[in-house]
Amino acid sequence: MSTHTDDDGYTHVAAADELEPGTGMGVVVDGVEVALFNVDGEFHATSNRCPHQRAPLCKVGERKINGEKCWNETRGGFTDAPAVACPWHLWEIDLETGEHAASGKQIGVFDVKVENGDVLVSI
Amino acid sequence: MASQDADPESEMPAAAYDERIIDLDFHMNPTEAELVRYVEDPVAREKFETVEFGMAPRKAKWDAAWAVPGGNEGLFTQGRAEVAEDVETVAEYFAIDDPIVNIGLNNTPTQHNPVQKNAIVRAANDFALDRVIPEDLHCLLMVPQWDPEYAVEEICRLGDKDGFVGAYGWFGPFSLLGDPAFDPMFEALVAYDLPLVLHGSLSFWPQDTPVGDGMLTWTEQLGFDWPVHAMLTAVNAVMSGVFDKFPDLQVVLEEGGHWWIPFARYRMDEFYEMHPEDVKLHPRVHELGNERLQRTPSDYLRDNFHVTTQPMAPPERSADFEQMLTQSMAEDMFLYSSDWPHQTLDPATWAFTDRAFDEDLRAAVLHENAAELFGI
Ligand code: FES
Repeated sequence: MSTHTDDDGYTHVAAADELEPGTGMGVVVDGVEVALFNVDGEFHATSNRCPHQRAPLCKVGERKINGEKCWNETRGGFTDAPAVACPWHLWEIDLETGEHAASGKQIGVFDVKVENGDVLVSI
Repeated sequence: MASQDADPESEMPAAAYDERIIDLDFHMNPTEAELVRYVEDPVAREKFETVEFGMAPRKAKWDAAWAVPGGNEGLFTQGRAEVAEDVETVAEYFAIDDPIVNIGLNNTPTQHNPVQKNAIVRAANDFALDRVIPEDLHCLLMVPQWDPEYAVEEICRLGDKDGFVGAYGWFGPFSLLGDPAFDPMFEALVAYDLPLVLHGSLSFWPQDTPVGDGMLTWTEQLGFDWPVHAMLTAVNAVMSGVFDKFPDLQVVLEEGGHWWIPFARYRMDEFYEMHPEDVKLHPRVHELGNERLQRTPSDYLRDNFHVTTQPMAPPERSADFEQMLTQSMAEDMFLYSSDWPHQTLDPATWAFTDRAFDEDLRAAVLHENAAELFGI
């Protein structure tokens, strides 16, 4: 993936239509793993590794093996908070603050903007 | 320490993919219809085809669904492996080289009807033999421990088939291994060189007791009553002379926790050394004509038991983690387990990201102990 950092510190990480609503994508910006999320058309970005046990948060929304036979078809998901529910153990991490309320643990959140169909992240 | 930052999609640290990982607790869930095809008994089969083989009728009990925000996700948080290929796909994600598969019918011990539950256990073993083992996967042979005679029959029927590397049963509020009725089963297990792997079952503490009914959270139910039953299972087997009669018998306690090991080893020794006189009155020890146990109680724990790691529940500080691993005899006793696909999944990240693990300990826990125990 090509990344390019603008003068204002934003880096182009993806085309907006590359990321389906309800899913995530992993990108590396300046050596930092970033998880980019599309929550009902709103884009969010956090550190990619879950503060619990380092699951890759970008895999949220991935279809499970035989997902149609499980209660939910995807690994993890999103809540209305909005929060990302981790694909491993469903910790809910607030996408505005990066916090997991029950443990008090926190990860980085990054500013995101969409311009001309491109998603840009500032880390 | 290798970095995992290179690939954001990677589930595990890069170094994990270079280490051999044997996973002792990989649950496979073939569809009910698929399993029923393997039920031979026509009477049992007819009933399976018309009546769901679900929970025994009993009042509702607590489960993970009340404890996670989404509800109802606990059993299949990661998906559902129905065929061998599913197992292989998932194992790769989590850097698992050798998943030891069980056809996890963990509700079986609580089912009431022995004809039905014996039939489904036999069917699951035949499914494993027919559909899983030929794909080069190792399996555990389910033993119907509620019926030791039938358990022996099942061990003799399939115990020498390549691919079945151990036997699978359950610890919980069931007859303890100290009951001499299990001796023929132990004899068969030793004869077939099959370690007995006991997993927690879905029954939890008996309901309709003040203790069972008093536990209203998943943390108590799964987090603590399984370890209590696991610990009792171990202590009971030691004190009843099981390993004096069957010194080669190996038992694995699966998903019953592991940080209780230091407590059990010192407390067993202390109590036994202060009160050794009653052991000779246990029917098995009496039959052996022994006055005392033949070894120090904690020696049996180290030599005849293993415990699985999931969930590891590591302390925050590496120094504390390292001490607990030492006290728990992890290098001798721990076997890695993932518990895929449940919400309690435990990928072995800690073995690669925490300084508590050096190369030797990592190898012992992730594969060496299991390789030696199961001969794989
Ligand atoms: S690793 Fe994310 S919830 Fe456990």
